[in-house]
Amino acid sequence: MSDLALDVVQQALNGFLFGSSYALIGIGFTMIFGVMEKLNLAFGITALGGAYAALLVFQLTRAPFPLVVLASVAAAGLIGLVVEITCFRWMPGDYPLAALMATVGMLFFVEEVIVHATNGVPRAFPAPLGQAMFDLGPWLLRGDLAFMFLVCLAVMVALWLLVFRTRLGLATRAVSQQPVAAQLCGIGLRRVNAAVFVLTGMVGGVAGALIGSAVGNLSPLLALPLTVKGLVTAVLGGLGSIPGAIVGGLLLGVVEYEALYFFGIGYRDMVTYLLLFAFLVFRPGGLFGSAARR
Amino acid sequence: MDFYVSLLTLFGFRILLGLSAYVVILTGQISLAQAGFYALGAYSAGAATALWGWPIVPAILLGAVVGGFFGFLVGFPALRVRGLFLVIATLAFTEIVRMVFLNLKYTIRVGDRTIGPAAGEGFRGITYYFEHGWSGLHILGFTWLFVAAVLLGLWLMDRSRAGAVLRAVGEDELAASSVGINLTAAKVSAMTLGGFVAGMAGALYAHYASYVSQEDFGVLLATFAIAYALVGGTGSVLGPVAGVLFFSLLIDGLRFLGDWRNLLFGVLIVAMMNLRPHGLVDAGLVRRLVGLRRRASAGA
Repeated sequence: MSDLALDVVQQALNGFLFGSSYALIGIGFTMIFGVMEKLNLAFGITALGGAYAALLVFQLTRAPFPLVVLASVAAAGLIGLVVEITCFRWMPGDYPLAALMATVGMLFFVEEVIVHATNGVPRAFPAPLGQAMFDLGPWLLRGDLAFMFLVCLAVMVALWLLVFRTRLGLATRAVSQQPVAAQLCGIGLRRVNAAVFVLTGMVGGVAGALIGSAVGNLSPLLALPLTVKGLVTAVLGGLGSIPGAIVGGLLLGVVEYEALYFFGIGYRDMVTYLLLFAFLVFRPGGLFGSAARR
Repeated sequence: MDFYVSLLTLFGFRILLGLSAYVVILTGQISLAQAGFYALGAYSAGAATALWGWPIVPAILLGAVVGGFFGFLVGFPALRVRGLFLVIATLAFTEIVRMVFLNLKYTIRVGDRTIGPAAGEGFRGITYYFEHGWSGLHILGFTWLFVAAVLLGLWLMDRSRAGAVLRAVGEDELAASSVGINLTAAKVSAMTLGGFVAGMAGALYAHYASYVSQEDFGVLLATFAIAYALVGGTGSVLGPVAGVLFFSLLIDGLRFLGDWRNLLFGVLIVAMMNLRPHGLVDAGLVRRLVGLRRRASAGA
């Protein structure tokens, strides 16, 4: 096999594994949209805030890595709840722009808290696997990315069980399909909304901690790319579709790594956006979305 | 004094940017493309005076027309995608524009200086004001001529049939189309008009700043554009003006708080949206103000 083909496959492998974290962020955006038909622009910062809280726990206690991830999950779940209360709970239901703007305010706020606490300097994040590499025939498998992929897979399975095998999941699906009918059946809309925000926040917390450990450090500058990539993922997959977000995230990861290899860092994001445009024009519902959703 | 002059000039750019987002929001669409139009206006008008030696007024108008043209282009795909998809599509537009300017190199040498867009280093040497010896007050007056014209134009539009059409589309597309309103025409013209105003704002900004770089025209600027309109309210053209005042007073007025200012900034946006979800100048306030004026004129 030629060197080029080897490299292309290597990049695809890395991108596929890293894409799993985009998938988790995309799931957060897509689930909140599915339930409330509103966009939560503070979701990227929720994930990042969780990761920073985990970093704080790590620096204070030197806790082992699984506990650090748990701290991130707990903190991001809490931030998710705060976002629901401050930006969604008392907003008029027929004017989604107010909630959208409030989440932008929240994005600024959490970002500033992080800048304030860290002086805006990037901080090293624990990476338990370090630079571990596994041989995979002619290719190398990065240990941290493989770990990230496995954890993301576990989170997705857990989420699937929760959405399709529990009462809360049933209520969530009911609200996302027919909010009024769901209420008539005795489902508490507020409780479901709050639960979805906590749950997606926790998913974001996992993603934040994993991205932190794969990149090796955290910076408040990550907030914007996380938000944009989560949105792109959700659109590629079809807003409201969880399997769509997973496939969209993996696709985005592969496309990004290949674009980085072929065109360099200056054009990487441009390729991402062109892909997004292509989707919006030719398949506006995304991969798994129904046409009625747009 | 100089400080206040430049602050007022900055208000002008921000108000124009807020108004450009306001026009689009009237039709119920949220566009993050305004920063892209602003960048296109800034670069094209900058190139017109600095590279091609145009006079200032045609250059500003060129920036506006370029912004409007791209608004027109963005308007068409915007018909296919709605709501949140439009937010993301327009965000992609702004980022693509930014990346084009990040990679665009088109410089000439004038004497011992290199001017023109130099890829990542930005666009230096838009020195029309400086070369013609304009003072800060000149620049302020010139900028506000455009701001006043746009404010007046949009105010008149709002009171005309065109304004009613745009608002009808924003309130309920189905109802609007069933009374015979052409949705395509309404949305594309709102986007074109928004692009025109944003391009003009960018053109004026480029000459004020004399140096522009793609870094300044990112998603953050686009977010501020819609923030001026949403926090200020879309009940009247005064909404975006109120929004600009709100943000500018926060940014510049809370300076004594030091680092804490930025923390308060986000909190205040959240609080504002909870207290006045439709913005400072919402439909209710406009109705009350109009009522007051009617009563006053009836009494006299």
